[in-house]
Amino acid sequence: MTGVDAGAGAGDVRYDRAREGATVLGIYLTSIAVALVVAALVLLATGGSWTSVLSALLDGSVRGPGRWGTTIGVAIPLLLVALGTIVNARAGLVNLGQEGQLFVGAAFGTYVATHIGAGGPGVLFLIMLAGVAGGAIWAGIAAVLRYQRRMPEVLTTLLLVFVASQAVGYGLKNKNLLLDPTPDQANRNLISERLRPDTRLPRLDWFGNEFPMTAFVALLMAVLVALVLRWTIVGFRLQMLGRGPRTAHRAGVSEARYGGLALVASGAFCGLAGAFMLAGGDFGNYRLTPNYPVNIGWEGLLVALVARNHPLVSIPVAFVFAGLRTGSGFLAATGVDRDITKVVQALLVLALLVPPAVLFVRNRRRALAAAAERV
Amino acid sequence: MTSPAAELRGITKRFGAVVACDNVDLALQRGEIHGILGENGAGKSTLMKVLIGLVLPDAGAIRIDGEQRRIRDPAEAAELGIGMVHQHFSLVEPLTVWENVILGERTRLDAAAARRRVGEISERYGLAIDPDERISDLSAGLRQRVEIIKCLRRDPAIVILDEPTSVLTPGESEQLFEVLRLVVERENKAVALVSHKLDEVLAATDRITIMRAGAVVDRRETGDADAPGLARAMVGRPVSLRSAGAALGHIEGLEDGVAASEPEAGNGPEATGPPPVLSIRDARARGRDRRTLLDGLSLDVRPGEIVGVAGVEGNGQAALSDLLSSLLPLEGGTVRVRDERPLPGRPGAMAAAGVAVVPADRHESGCVLDMTVAENLTLVSPPRARTGRALLDSAGRAILDRTGRRAHAERLIEQFGIQTPGADAPMWSLSGGNQQRVVLARELSGDPAVLVAAQPTRGLDVGAIEYVSERLREAAADGVAVLLISTELEEVLDLADRIVVIFRGRIVGEMDRADLDVERLGLLMSGAQEAAAS
Repeated sequence: MTGVDAGAGAGDVRYDRAREGATVLGIYLTSIAVALVVAALVLLATGGSWTSVLSALLDGSVRGPGRWGTTIGVAIPLLLVALGTIVNARAGLVNLGQEGQLFVGAAFGTYVATHIGAGGPGVLFLIMLAGVAGGAIWAGIAAVLRYQRRMPEVLTTLLLVFVASQAVGYGLKNKNLLLDPTPDQANRNLISERLRPDTRLPRLDWFGNEFPMTAFVALLMAVLVALVLRWTIVGFRLQMLGRGPRTAHRAGVSEARYGGLALVASGAFCGLAGAFMLAGGDFGNYRLTPNYPVNIGWEGLLVALVARNHPLVSIPVAFVFAGLRTGSGFLAATGVDRDITKVVQALLVLALLVPPAVLFVRNRRRALAAAAERV
Repeated sequence: MTSPAAELRGITKRFGAVVACDNVDLALQRGEIHGILGENGAGKSTLMKVLIGLVLPDAGAIRIDGEQRRIRDPAEAAELGIGMVHQHFSLVEPLTVWENVILGERTRLDAAAARRRVGEISERYGLAIDPDERISDLSAGLRQRVEIIKCLRRDPAIVILDEPTSVLTPGESEQLFEVLRLVVERENKAVALVSHKLDEVLAATDRITIMRAGAVVDRRETGDADAPGLARAMVGRPVSLRSAGAALGHIEGLEDGVAASEPEAGNGPEATGPPPVLSIRDARARGRDRRTLLDGLSLDVRPGEIVGVAGVEGNGQAALSDLLSSLLPLEGGTVRVRDERPLPGRPGAMAAAGVAVVPADRHESGCVLDMTVAENLTLVSPPRARTGRALLDSAGRAILDRTGRRAHAERLIEQFGIQTPGADAPMWSLSGGNQQRVVLARELSGDPAVLVAAQPTRGLDVGAIEYVSERLREAAADGVAVLLISTELEEVLDLADRIVVIFRGRIVGEMDRADLDVERLGLLMSGAQEAAAS
């Protein structure tokens, strides 16, 4: 009976950091263990070998030659998207439009890159800026609708994903916008011109692992977001808005200003992720294509969820998600049916998503019990 | 003697570390009104919830008419003839009276029969009500009638009322007790009246059980009981009725006390008094559903005085508090604080002008449960009104001064005696009384010109109530203009120098504490406008 559970929470007024940490760890370990067991059972039942699947996943993500670099390349946009999502979630808003914001950011970047007709660091910077602007504008539409017209941002951001994919699709059919104007291939393939070599992001090569230098930018951003949330007035106000909007309003935090700021910032991060993907070389070979974001936006959202909205935690989480992605490329070699490998992958993602949900429900219940006043 | 209608034996219920009921025995006899008296948090409600099946006890037995029973949910309780009128109404506002009464019934819907049934019940018990009236059009007193009819329609043998008078005017309370007397005498029902108000328990019951900290501390026949003795048993130490009056609801004691203490409270609002620091003129506001919240409300509060806003809940108290929390924009009228005219509804405007607020629902607009105590002690740092730069605080800094905040918090924790594991503990880990202290500490530390306290003692225990009351008096003594908004009349009478009555979004009457007339106050609260003219 719920009344009893809530009551138990209410009586538990002590606050114990160590015990809290142990609980969280325990929930994660249990969840992952359950997922691995279920995955092993599924593989056994379908005649596969779970050791070979696990081995292939590891080969594809980190053990194979150069795979670290590939995985890092995928982790960069995931991390950026997650960071934006975190800023937004801390302000109490739900952005589900990362995929679209990222796509529009990439499209803006492509437009600038293919129309400027020059190269160099300055132009590269402009491409990044265009990406940021694209994502910010796309999220800004949702912000305006939210604060001028009271339309829930959950819906508008989500629906704008589909608008984004249609709009960029239109751009990819139009030579004046994004379509590659080279005569013979243009009408058949909806793809943009390739970025000139001097507008591409420099790639590093460490021990045979090649990845774009934006990896460090992304790391820096994660640290920056953590610092802003923890140490600045604006970070404090954003979180006050997220956790107690009425209290925040009374304390002078304008919902429209700070909430709008959070949404636009979230979009800007996604747009930047799009621009990084475009000029980084790990996605689409330096050209924009339909379905360019390949779920990076959605997965970035999951990264933030799994990281429980902690910017620094999202660094390793982004890497793990990237590893699941790059590792799955090697699963085909195990002879296990493709659909089954997808099931295994989904189970692992689920194992990471269940604990935050459990913790969220627990905290909510605890807050409710506290709110319902002690007996 | 026949076996009691309901008998609870050795009921124990724990919530985590808190023992809500500790080996409690209680017997409800037919033909009796049994008062269950205790402070907030004494375990009265939990005990009643055990009887109605809302809470499963950890130990103990329940006998109904001498037979041992397990009551696992309210439906089982209803089958055994137990009905309860809850403290908070559970009515569907857009529906009519009869619709609400049959709500939840599983038989075929027969509107005519249902209307007839409501008519019968209201006739039989003198609970006059129109079955076709919409709930949203009814006053709190009438809504409670609907709740009582809902409870009585199954003809229960045992009727439980949980704090039934908290939203009623004194007149309405008296009517309620007449009905209860009727129910008991004519139909031999057993009635349990849960209350923390001494006077009503003394006036309305036959037998009293007093609870404190989860245990029964005393049982009396009402005839043998007196107010000081009950108060002592309830609180566990001798209390002066004057200071405990607000908590215990003993109006007569207060009225006597008023005259005696008048000289020290001293200067009422003479015509020559200082100019008001808070002036509300003709405030008009409507809610999002276009319902009128404030209807031409005007109010002045001078420095150093406590103005009490009395009234039955739901007459605009929440709107008034929201207005002064910058949460409610006005359609007409003005608010002036000292020489400023903060724009109502603009984020932080009132706080910046010097209005501190202890809101009725502290979880909603008083504190942030998911933040630490230190953070909650520094929430209000409005940005400079004119620059409006989003990134800076009132001192023009962009970076949080975490060390300074911590020191500030620790000072306030000490100064206000806040019981907390530390400045970094999350707000939700504090008890209600300590959360209230945090809110009070923060609001008072900002050196406000005006302090608005809305239901500042709701849900607190006697110690905390005394503390909060004392702080309000001190603030007034320091020259703060205090506006006390409370539906507990006793609290208003205890603290206020001047009392204004709010009814349907406007102030309908005013009296000095020196000319206190509880009867007239009751009339004003129930909306009898003629009284205002006199």
